[in-house]
Amino acid sequence: MATPRPIRSMDPYAEQFWSYTQIKEFRLQKCSECGKFRWPPGPTCDRCLSDEFEWTLMAGRGKILSWTTFHRSYFPEYPAPHTTIVLELDEGPLFAAYPVKIGPEDLSEGMELSLRWTDGLDEFGDYNLPVFGPLTE
Amino acid sequence: MATSLDRERLGPLKDSVAIVGVGETDYGSDYRGAGGKAVAKGEARYDSYTLASRALKRALDDAGLNKDDIDGLCVANLSSERACELWGMNPRWSGGGDAAQSIIEATMAINCGLCTTVALVYGNAQRSMNTAYGGSRVTGGGITSYFYYAPWGLTSQGALYALLFQRHKLLYGTTEEQLGAIPVAFRKHACMNPNAVMQKPITIDDYLNARYIAEPLRLFDYCLINDGGVAIIVRRADMAKDCRQPPIMVSGFGWSEENVDATQLRPRLKDFYHTAHRDVAAQVYPMAGVTPQDIDVFATYDSFSVHLLASLEGFGFCKEGEGGPFVQEGRIEIGGDLPCNTSGGMLSESYMQSWNHQPELVRQLRGGLGQRQVQGAEVAQYVHDVAGKCKSIIYTKGN
Repeated sequence: MATPRPIRSMDPYAEQFWSYTQIKEFRLQKCSECGKFRWPPGPTCDRCLSDEFEWTLMAGRGKILSWTTFHRSYFPEYPAPHTTIVLELDEGPLFAAYPVKIGPEDLSEGMELSLRWTDGLDEFGDYNLPVFGPLTE
Repeated sequence: MATSLDRERLGPLKDSVAIVGVGETDYGSDYRGAGGKAVAKGEARYDSYTLASRALKRALDDAGLNKDDIDGLCVANLSSERACELWGMNPRWSGGGDAAQSIIEATMAINCGLCTTVALVYGNAQRSMNTAYGGSRVTGGGITSYFYYAPWGLTSQGALYALLFQRHKLLYGTTEEQLGAIPVAFRKHACMNPNAVMQKPITIDDYLNARYIAEPLRLFDYCLINDGGVAIIVRRADMAKDCRQPPIMVSGFGWSEENVDATQLRPRLKDFYHTAHRDVAAQVYPMAGVTPQDIDVFATYDSFSVHLLASLEGFGFCKEGEGGPFVQEGRIEIGGDLPCNTSGGMLSESYMQSWNHQPELVRQLRGGLGQRQVQGAEVAQYVHDVAGKCKSIIYTKGN
């Protein structure tokens, strides 16, 4: 049984993003006309308003921009202390997640992390959650 | 923004309307309840309409007007229809939104000739109703980042501002002790304000010894959750002299939103929303004919202390990255160079989601606030910035 997690925000584009996670593929939409990546998923390129896009496989690497540690529990699934991070992916978009196999005391500005998968379950079903950890373990 | 600002049309709106009345509920005594103990969250005592109605009555009394003088209405956190029904009003125009937005919209409606006298009314029984701003009950209010990262355990506006402050620390070396000067100063102001919820001074040690909520933000970096209502009466300038109080003029305003890549948190973490701040500054100061050096009293939206750092830097009171040193040594306290959030703000007076700042600035310009009075106050500025939805109002004393 997969790990229960707080509910995802779902729409037709988010559905597609999460369905790729079931085969552990981290894909974001890339505009077919101007090449801009977007996140969260949506119908339109914010730069050129084109609705043509490809679900493009990401390298799964990024640099740490910031982090915060919750000392109060907001979700039963994530008892305090719980640390979350924001990365700048190599392809450009920023991506929020949580760090694995590294504690908040070892995080630093610009540190490179890479993609890991962990399982998840909510009322929309099973999926895999993209999280980030050190390049070498 | 590709288009340029039409200063020729905007310019004549300077001083075209005045704030003639303000009213607020009894934040402190409502919070403490019987026996002086804070009323628990969810222990319903009020609804939002009760609080809004009380504030409206007080604002009308303050202005020396009655409800039949009101021909325009902006409500916030309320249904316009129900509010009108409760108060027996059939307005010619209605709007709504945050405080600054409502003042700008009321100014536009009055200048278009749709109405002459607008009541702006807000009520929020958020403590009685146990409103949640984080966790599984959080809602977006149009802001996707508030809930989108729930699967990773990242929600709450506080955590998003913690990310902003952490980024500021990493880029500029700003310290938590420097940030602490903000809640300490606002608490000092609240202790001079008998209507403020918080009445006990805090020191920087109290601040640093308090628990983290979303690190690096601590308990005192967070706003209150309390019940209250605020009302403001905006009237056409030539009609303002008939009122009981000296008019306080709306001399400048600006509005700019920085929403591209908002859910990615790019404007928050890569820009501290300064693009919006600079765009608003380029509107509000020239329209009012002043510069940051002319501001006698300043107030910023302060659901979290770190808002002040971002707005001081973005509006040019100090250079980018220098907000931490700027807020030290009493500079932002009453008696300092730039007294900020002199009522105690949303951290220590009342969390009225921008609304309580307006009566405070109006009263500072009217004068006579005793020990809380900023001496010689003639120009006051409010800066609104909620996740990059930025506006500003400059108020001045009428002639």
